[in-house]
Amino acid sequence: MISKTRFLLAETGQNIWRNILLTIASILVVGVSLGLFGASQLLARGVDNATARWEGGIEFVVFMKSDAEQSQLDAIETLLSSSQGQEIDEWVFVDKEQTFEEFTEFFAGDEELLATISVDTMPPSYRIRPTDTNAGAVEALGQTFEARPGVRSVVFAADVIREIQNNASRLTQILLGVSGVLIAASVIVILTTLSIAISGRRNEIEIMKLVGASNWFIRIPFMIEGMVQGVVGALLALPALAWVRTQVIEEFSESDNLRLLEGFRVTDDEFLLISLAVLAIGTVVATIGSVVAVSRYLNV
Amino acid sequence: MIKLENVSKAYSPDSPALIDANVEIEKGEFVFLVGASGSGKSTFIRLLNREERPTQGKVYVAGKDIVKLSSWKVPYLRRNIGCIFQDFRLLPKRTVAENVAFALEVIGRPKHVVDQQVPAILDLVGLSEKTHRMPNELSGGEQQRVSIARAFVNRPLILLADEPTGNLDPDTAVGIMRLLDRINRTGTTVVMATHDRGIVDTMRRRVIELSDGRIVRDQSGGQYR
Repeated sequence: MISKTRFLLAETGQNIWRNILLTIASILVVGVSLGLFGASQLLARGVDNATARWEGGIEFVVFMKSDAEQSQLDAIETLLSSSQGQEIDEWVFVDKEQTFEEFTEFFAGDEELLATISVDTMPPSYRIRPTDTNAGAVEALGQTFEARPGVRSVVFAADVIREIQNNASRLTQILLGVSGVLIAASVIVILTTLSIAISGRRNEIEIMKLVGASNWFIRIPFMIEGMVQGVVGALLALPALAWVRTQVIEEFSESDNLRLLEGFRVTDDEFLLISLAVLAIGTVVATIGSVVAVSRYLNV
Repeated sequence: MIKLENVSKAYSPDSPALIDANVEIEKGEFVFLVGASGSGKSTFIRLLNREERPTQGKVYVAGKDIVKLSSWKVPYLRRNIGCIFQDFRLLPKRTVAENVAFALEVIGRPKHVVDQQVPAILDLVGLSEKTHRMPNELSGGEQQRVSIARAFVNRPLILLADEPTGNLDPDTAVGIMRLLDRINRTGTTVVMATHDRGIVDTMRRRVIELSDGRIVRDQSGGQYR
């Protein structure tokens, strides 16, 4: 068993070495396509997170002062309730605890920042979906809250947010489309690399068949070779994605021009999930390429 | 050991390569297949190790109907059948010893078996001085000895030889035939396709003659004619 394994690994190593340039090309194609796929997902998550509070048609948010009195809150709620069904379609109250939770979830990992905040310093807020979503009407409605006692500020979704959401989702789709095409190309490249490896070893394969090597014994080195290409490609994509996450996205969120994108972040959990998806796709791509190659070209 | 029952093989419908062959070969026999090029000798041999399947009829090897053998079992059939060819089919980038060891390694034999069997078989074929040479450093006769060593190292029941002396000069060919004869005496059944009249006439073994795909003669102690 040990000598069998050693023999198979040595064969695989030789295959890869003989075919090194093509193997590298194949790994790079896999890496780039999975990198693009991962980037599309990072972007989508980042925009989702940045605009989370604007989802579901929320057009503006009334932030209360963190020390607003209960009577002030009650006054706002009475006003909201009385307008419901007229100017206001629906509204949601987000209390201090909830805000704190969202905040900590969002900035998980940023210990410094989290150390400076507490539930008490969080502003409670009202997320409001107006009946009339026309920009002028929304603004007029929002301003009526601004002067109320206890209100800290009113933040509008503004057209910029909508535009960002639209553009980002368009960009995500484009990235996803391009990466899809490249992923399909990766399968073909792996397939071709293996077919060249197979034809380069046809003498050995012929002898192996002749002396009675089992079909799997002949197939396995090529299958491992294909898997190496897919998995190494995926592993190359991961550090690139980590870099995109920290550099590009941090840059985004700190930019003064894009204040609205303050929350542009990807949480650790989301990043882990994207990484696993990248690895899984790499493995699937490699498996498809390898299985098709050995069944089409190996003829055992 | 080998039995063909009403075996026909046609690669295309209008050009049959073998027609209604009925042959039985006992364990330990030495059989020459003779006949002109294209008479069906190679097809006969290829049917025995399941490189080809007959269009009709049954082929038994070691008591088993190999026509029906499922493809994953074919390798295990072939471990009992050694093959040698006119063109040797050695791996050019491996040494003599590595070429022979390859046959054992790819069927998963452990290293200590390989280390023991390879020198022994190279000694048997008379190449123990050349174990680390590359094939292109050897003469044709020596290369054929390596290929015989590779075919026989796993001690198969049957040795199939397709024109093994076709590329060799007469003296070298005699040496190869002596070696095949020795292997035959260990109880291995040998089936050899050949054009070499001199060899067939000297050895005086069973001769099966093929002509246009038909067996036209099956004679023990026969001559080439």
